[in-house]
Amino acid sequence: MLCTGTGCVAGGAFRIKETLENEIQKQGLEKEISVIITGCNGFCGQGPLLVVQPDEIFYGFLNPEDIPFLVQEHFLKGRPVKKLMFTPPEKKEPIPLLSEIPFFKKQMLVVLRNKGIIDPEKIDDYVARDGYTALEKVLISMTPDEVIDEITRSGLRGRGGAGFPTGTKWKICRTEQKTPKYIICNCDEGDPGAYMDRSVFESDPHTVIEGMILGAYAIGVSRGYIYARTEYPLAIKRMDLAISHARDYGLLGENILGTDFSFNLEIREGSGAFVCGEETSLIHSIEGKGPEPRQRPPFPAEFGIWDCPTVINNVETWANVPVIINRGADWFSKIGTETSKGTKIFSLVGKINNTGLIEVPMGITLREVVYDIGGGIPDDKKFKAVQTGGPSGGCIPYSMIDVPIDYESLTNAGSMMGSGGMIVMDEDTCMVDVAKFFIQFTNDESCGKCTTCRDGSDALLEVLTNITNGNGKEGDLEFLEEAGNAIKDASMCGLGTTLPNPVLSTLKYFRDEYEAHIKESMCPALVCKNLIKYYILPEKCTGCRLCLKNCPPGAIKGELKHIHIIDQSKCTKCGTCLDVCPTKVSAIIKVSGKETEKITGIEEPYPVKRREKEIKK
Amino acid sequence: MTEKVGAVAVLGGGISGMQAALDLAESGLKVYLVDNKPSIGGVMAQLDKTFPTNDCAMCTMAPRLVEIGRHKDIEIITLSDIEKIEGEAGNFKVILNKKPRYLNEEKCTGCGTCITNCPTRNKVQPLEKTKVELEPQYEEKVLEIIKINKDREGPLMAILQQINSAFNYLPENVLKYVSQEVGYPLSHILMIATFYSSFSLVPRGKHVINVCMGTACYVKGSERLMERLSDVLEIKENETTPDMLFTLKSVRCIGCCGLAPAAMIGDNVYGKLSTKDIPGIIEKYKTMG
Repeated sequence: MLCTGTGCVAGGAFRIKETLENEIQKQGLEKEISVIITGCNGFCGQGPLLVVQPDEIFYGFLNPEDIPFLVQEHFLKGRPVKKLMFTPPEKKEPIPLLSEIPFFKKQMLVVLRNKGIIDPEKIDDYVARDGYTALEKVLISMTPDEVIDEITRSGLRGRGGAGFPTGTKWKICRTEQKTPKYIICNCDEGDPGAYMDRSVFESDPHTVIEGMILGAYAIGVSRGYIYARTEYPLAIKRMDLAISHARDYGLLGENILGTDFSFNLEIREGSGAFVCGEETSLIHSIEGKGPEPRQRPPFPAEFGIWDCPTVINNVETWANVPVIINRGADWFSKIGTETSKGTKIFSLVGKINNTGLIEVPMGITLREVVYDIGGGIPDDKKFKAVQTGGPSGGCIPYSMIDVPIDYESLTNAGSMMGSGGMIVMDEDTCMVDVAKFFIQFTNDESCGKCTTCRDGSDALLEVLTNITNGNGKEGDLEFLEEAGNAIKDASMCGLGTTLPNPVLSTLKYFRDEYEAHIKESMCPALVCKNLIKYYILPEKCTGCRLCLKNCPPGAIKGELKHIHIIDQSKCTKCGTCLDVCPTKVSAIIKVSGKETEKITGIEEPYPVKRREKEIKK
Repeated sequence: MTEKVGAVAVLGGGISGMQAALDLAESGLKVYLVDNKPSIGGVMAQLDKTFPTNDCAMCTMAPRLVEIGRHKDIEIITLSDIEKIEGEAGNFKVILNKKPRYLNEEKCTGCGTCITNCPTRNKVQPLEKTKVELEPQYEEKVLEIIKINKDREGPLMAILQQINSAFNYLPENVLKYVSQEVGYPLSHILMIATFYSSFSLVPRGKHVINVCMGTACYVKGSERLMERLSDVLEIKENETTPDMLFTLKSVRCIGCCGLAPAAMIGDNVYGKLSTKDIPGIIEKYKTMG
């Protein structure tokens, strides 16, 4: 089972596949062992990776050079290769079994139940895992109203972020008189740091198709669109293939499975505009109009694409539907909390040991996600915050790490569920810089229709830039709060109303960091370039010339076996010197604020030997 | 109390000019309110709502307009340019150039009937219609793209996407041709073409380098990758190298957050990049050509 999600493909998964097949053939094992390519396994931080079934042995960080050895040892001699297995950073012994690895242990796979098990390019693989049985069940034994009832009872809520109850949305659309009606699958996953939709498309496209067919039957629709980002070429390719397979099997098209129900599906591509993830904007984009959002109501369920009633759901929402039909609303509603049912996929990324895609039941705490599944922060750094909900969300600080993950709790914490990006930040992340990053993003992506969003984000960005440049002044923070709240109140679509969240939440929890920037011209996380300086510690420098050779602007003075000096007037603070300085020397440091005054550098490079003599004295 | 003497000229009849005129007049000065447009009101008269209070613009303006019109000490001089200002504080002389208006201002009520009935204004201007021809290098591909998509619902996006990927940008003449053949106004096509970040109106290099600026990549230092790339290629973001090989861009998350920091060159993803890797990768593409 070789993972071929985008991450592993970038790491050379197809080269590994080739070597693996060659090697197996060389050993004459092609009858016993088959190489199956699968969609994203989820543990992207370990890629390229493969899982040997049925033994369930997990191998990560593979190189084509490792393969001959692996085939010989494992497949021929039956000795799994320890050095390629997953080893948690704090332990010495590797964990061979997939199910024993903490990253997988606490997960609950509903939407991603087929990930890493089936070949996403083969419809038979999906059918073998109970695929399309929900469709059969519905067409034979359930009326559309019963399907909607089932979804309503399951408590499924929109996984795009806002959490609108799916059953209710379907019902509104079903009761609309106007025809034809449409359904749309929203795969315009623009949130930076989130890639669950892409992963679902790449690992199990048929579950989305089945979900959409079920939805179409329940709502009474014969046409559907999938709106996907053009940045996801592999996902689009696999979905396209899946649609044509489903059509060949008579699961899409006219008279599905011999009944008089017909449904057609078509992919439409976006072209790189964040706002198109907003439903009205998405509709305008498909229609070829200017993709600006419009005022709601009327909601798309009443007045959507081509002015007809339209249900738009997120990829993950559609993917939940077949499972609910198959296993029943009662089973589904047992998972999760009072108001948030089922599971949610998160992409756990940033400063964390185990990066990857995880699916967990609602109500799990952030602590479990970060420490048990994520394996904590690398290099023993301190956990600072988790950013959820993309540019619309906020940062949740360490003090709130025991908050359960569900729609309401996250909103109360000043963030939101969003599409499920979860970015972990450690002490080296500057919160003002992060806020600036998000405002830059939304400022860039704002369509410009509402003044508050367009000009308000400009204003926020200007103040934040001033602060990070060391030009912050008294009253800036109050202005950020005031303007932030005004933007929130006066913008029309989701982009504008949630745009100030990153600023407001970091202001709430990390006000001291903002104040340090303004009052002491200091960036506590040592990120903001204008507020930091690089120094070479004379007592540590060995005069190896590495930093001197690599410094892009040539700001380092020195010669071999002489202590080097950074010319502050030339330094562009790119940090290359810090990267190249050997770890055992680590002579280069970053300092900020008052700390800079404490550093007493040397005037001219002098031989390392002289220092040694001085120390001896 | 000293008696107020003299008069004040307020230049510009926008909302601030209007308020200034009113305040001055209220304090007992004679005010000349000058504007180069046919009427006062300025930009605010064109707005629906104002930031940050979201107040209705007309509700803020209308009372002031009425008051100015009624005020005995305010004289409105419209359609006039400032020719010259001389003098010093306390004693200015302003020379205005009043544009002709071809009607008796004393009698005009501003009903607007003359505008609607003006024969010159309402004459239909014949459109200069020249048929757009495609350059030979575009012809075959563009005709094919239009043929495939013309009869779909909402064909414009697909057409633009395919043209963009075929030529790496949207050539101006091709857009004009699409406008003529598919029947969208050119202004609409340009609005769409400039809205999305993956479209380009200028030619781009053979290899488009997209540095991911998603959150995960950002916190892992993708900005520094961008700087290094820009150093190595000697171009800035959104620029193309003179040999037309590389275009440097940033992108909003390519969904490879597990590989942060990442970049895409063409359709190939490079993950877990460090500034040290950059020169090697660029060299590889340079030898490829």
